[in-house]
Amino acid sequence: MDETEDVPKDFIKLKSAKLSVDEVSELVVSPYCGAVSLFIGTTRNNFEGKKVIHLEYEAYTSMAETEIKKICRDVRQKWPSVKHIAVYHRLGVVPITEASVIIAVSSPHRAESLEAVMYCINTLKASVPIWKKEIYEDEYSWKENKECFWANSEK
Amino acid sequence: MRCQVSVLYFARSAELAGLRSETLSVPRQITSLQLWEEIVKAHPRLAVIQDQVVFAVRQEYVLLGDQLLVLQPGDEVAIIPPISGG
Repeated sequence: MDETEDVPKDFIKLKSAKLSVDEVSELVVSPYCGAVSLFIGTTRNNFEGKKVIHLEYEAYTSMAETEIKKICRDVRQKWPSVKHIAVYHRLGVVPITEASVIIAVSSPHRAESLEAVMYCINTLKASVPIWKKEIYEDEYSWKENKECFWANSEK
Repeated sequence: MRCQVSVLYFARSAELAGLRSETLSVPRQITSLQLWEEIVKAHPRLAVIQDQVVFAVRQEYVLLGDQLLVLQPGDEVAIIPPISGG
């Protein structure tokens, strides 16, 4: 079969508009792939007994895109059959239950795309310069991922 | 010899410094810890997060410590508090 029209692509976007699961999953669909795996990170309404009103995200955008490109490169090294990868992260205010991040990966068979999606979100949380502020009723808190290798473990 | 670098502040460090970016004149060769100390001199409120931040110099992470940086005019130096993407 002629594969030249379906060259593997990485789709990386940081944007403040609402994320669409349909849009992101359609980016990675391929006639050569039997699997599309997805991760959607959504906003919870509570943290340690406090009510969360909404989340706010900011990013070092140029470096975040570069770090996500590195993750895509690593994915392709570890799972060479992966076809397309999409990583969309929302910035600014994210209301409860809406998506902050959507990751979609396609591959001919399901094992690779499922593993690659998990690797993408785990590595994103450890290495991509994006910050989340949780807004409560009376206060707010800058969150720290446990995956962050330089953060203090005591809070 | 000194040069002008672009310092970027994010998240809690932007709140403590009171700004998102500025140009600073710093020695061309400096350890990452010395660079941090120069920045804290300009913005003393940043001292409280010293144990939690790293730098990104030309978009590569650098821990605060003895690592010698060789800076060029116009280099981007970002203060990176603990990240929380995803």
